[in-house]
Amino acid sequence: MTNPPNDSAAAFPVETLARVLDLLIPPSTDGRLPGAGELGLSCYVEELLAKTPAPRPLVAQGLAALEAAASGRGARGFAELPRDAQRALLDAHAKTAPAFAPTLLFLVMTGYYREPRVLAALGLENRPPFPKGHAVEESDFSLLDAVRRREKLYREC
Amino acid sequence: MGISMSQDPVDVLIIGAGASGAAFAWSLADTRMNILCLEQGEWMDPSRYPSAGADWELRVQNDMAFSPNVRRRPADYPINDDASPIKPALFNAVGGSTITYAAHFPRLHPSDFRARTLDGVADDWPLDYATLEPYYAQNERMMGVAGLAGDPAYPPKEPALPPVPLGRLGERVARGFDALGWHWWPSDSAIATRAYEGRAPCINLGPCTSGCAQGAKASTDVTYWPAALRRGVRLETHCRVREISVRGDGMADGVVYYDAQGVERHQRAEIVVLACNGIGTPRLLLNSRSRQFPDGLANRSGLVGRNLMFHPYAMVNGLFPERLEGYKGPVGCGLMSQEFYETDASRGFTRGYSFELMRGVGPVSIALWAAAQGRLSWGDRHHEAYEAVFDRTAGLLAICEDLPEPHNCVTLDPELKDAHGIPAPRIQYRLSENSEKMLAHGSARAREALEAAGAQQVFSEAPLRVAGWHLMGTARMGRDPSRSVVNEWGRSHDVRNLFVIDGSLFVTAGAVNPTNTIQALALYIADRIKENLGNLFE
Repeated sequence: MTNPPNDSAAAFPVETLARVLDLLIPPSTDGRLPGAGELGLSCYVEELLAKTPAPRPLVAQGLAALEAAASGRGARGFAELPRDAQRALLDAHAKTAPAFAPTLLFLVMTGYYREPRVLAALGLENRPPFPKGHAVEESDFSLLDAVRRREKLYREC
Repeated sequence: MGISMSQDPVDVLIIGAGASGAAFAWSLADTRMNILCLEQGEWMDPSRYPSAGADWELRVQNDMAFSPNVRRRPADYPINDDASPIKPALFNAVGGSTITYAAHFPRLHPSDFRARTLDGVADDWPLDYATLEPYYAQNERMMGVAGLAGDPAYPPKEPALPPVPLGRLGERVARGFDALGWHWWPSDSAIATRAYEGRAPCINLGPCTSGCAQGAKASTDVTYWPAALRRGVRLETHCRVREISVRGDGMADGVVYYDAQGVERHQRAEIVVLACNGIGTPRLLLNSRSRQFPDGLANRSGLVGRNLMFHPYAMVNGLFPERLEGYKGPVGCGLMSQEFYETDASRGFTRGYSFELMRGVGPVSIALWAAAQGRLSWGDRHHEAYEAVFDRTAGLLAICEDLPEPHNCVTLDPELKDAHGIPAPRIQYRLSENSEKMLAHGSARAREALEAAGAQQVFSEAPLRVAGWHLMGTARMGRDPSRSVVNEWGRSHDVRNLFVIDGSLFVTAGAVNPTNTIQALALYIADRIKENLGNLFE
């Protein structure tokens, strides 16, 4: 590696990040929901960390540690390992750096749950609330019959 | 460097264009006096509110966050809130915090004005519900309040518009209250459920608390201000007032402020009116020190900044087995319960609280909430865990009455300053034992209500850290100059051409959102000024 792992200007190993994101939010077993890495959210996470750099060293160090661990197993990189092996390395890393995966999960969820494929799988339209809004049925306030029969609750004074 | 003089003196100078400043300006325009309002913020552009963009859930935690310390917009000033478990939330713009309020719009109860007489705590207000009632009604017409007549928790009132629909989520929770035999009622909501006075009807966007792109929510930039401007009131934005200046005779003579270009100016006025909220108003008074007023202006009682009241909130969320469509509809308006509002000594605390329904949130927000609760982790079970929470939460907020205590206060921070170098406010606040007991009671009763509605799991947070939405009591009204800052119609005891019209006036907090009362008070004070114009300063 030419850059130290905590160099805030350094680019992340994109493939490693993508595979980690796929471990954090994997594809659903029924195929409806894609994995976070598969959606290309590693670029989103990079952009987010450029704007809010505080967690960047933690993420960079974690990815570097996973790369190093993969090399230690004789792989050319983390991304080259089978998924089960990737998962084992991530589990092992979580024991020494427990904040790494939750922090990355927090970051990626802010993008994942805005992705059109994800929203569609959740039964949501891919749009902001405005201008279409939402239809809500008028309420049936006969629900209030029991309350209407009550004596006044406030104190006269 | 000298101070640039502005144009001619004005009759009335209002500082702050939020809830109270707007209502007051509109009412006082009847007099045809020369009225100027200085506002440190800008006119908001509703088309740029978060709900109009794909990043709407993220902006609520950034440039439209509740706390100015997080938001850091150019109009914001910092607040040292390190010594408070509840963080102040306010917005600086034309419309003030009505831009970001939920528009839950109840009145105080008659008993709220008589806490000392009825319950032996705090003080009575120098006015009563009957006095304020016509001003509530006037304000509700101007703001366009939706609700339902017949609530047994209140004296009769007639909302202008039909209530906000409960939705699937609200009906579910309502049935919980019914099962327990507890009071509930559709919220009084400052939301146009039908087209109203030029405002488009609510289309259930959801995130009212980051601005209403539809214009259905009654923020004062779309209610009072257009009407006030048509009546000739002038409003200047990006003007941050540093201090109120005084004449040799101890009367206010205007303000020193920084204009949009940062130029220091002096605007003279016959009457100065503070409408800067329960933190901004004491900050400005305390920053207005002079030889005549070494402890800050209008502070001979020593009470400016003291008796700060929030409403401590308990947030209780229930997790339901079915989807609730909770992201559809005004997030903070649906129903409220006042089963536990009035004092009942058997509960172990004095005074009481209301419940307010909180609807659900969007897909990002629920993910972040669930992760923070430890309910959503990474890995192969992520989707299963998310499915169990998404659109399956309903919340109840217990909004508890906070009693006035002098040690809860706003002072000036010795070091922290805003962008213009003006000393920033510092908050010192701790929960009373009474509030702690009330929060515990409210959390337990909310759990019962949600479980009765079918919630399978319930989660509580009390006090809710971000919920310093209501800022009250820091320049309170009263007849005794030694125990209050202003008189029974908002005029300073010490400086007779200086008025306070915002939440600082509150003697007690009640247990409901204060905006309707803040505005009713502003309208009431405007009428008293109109009636007393001939001898206003006597």
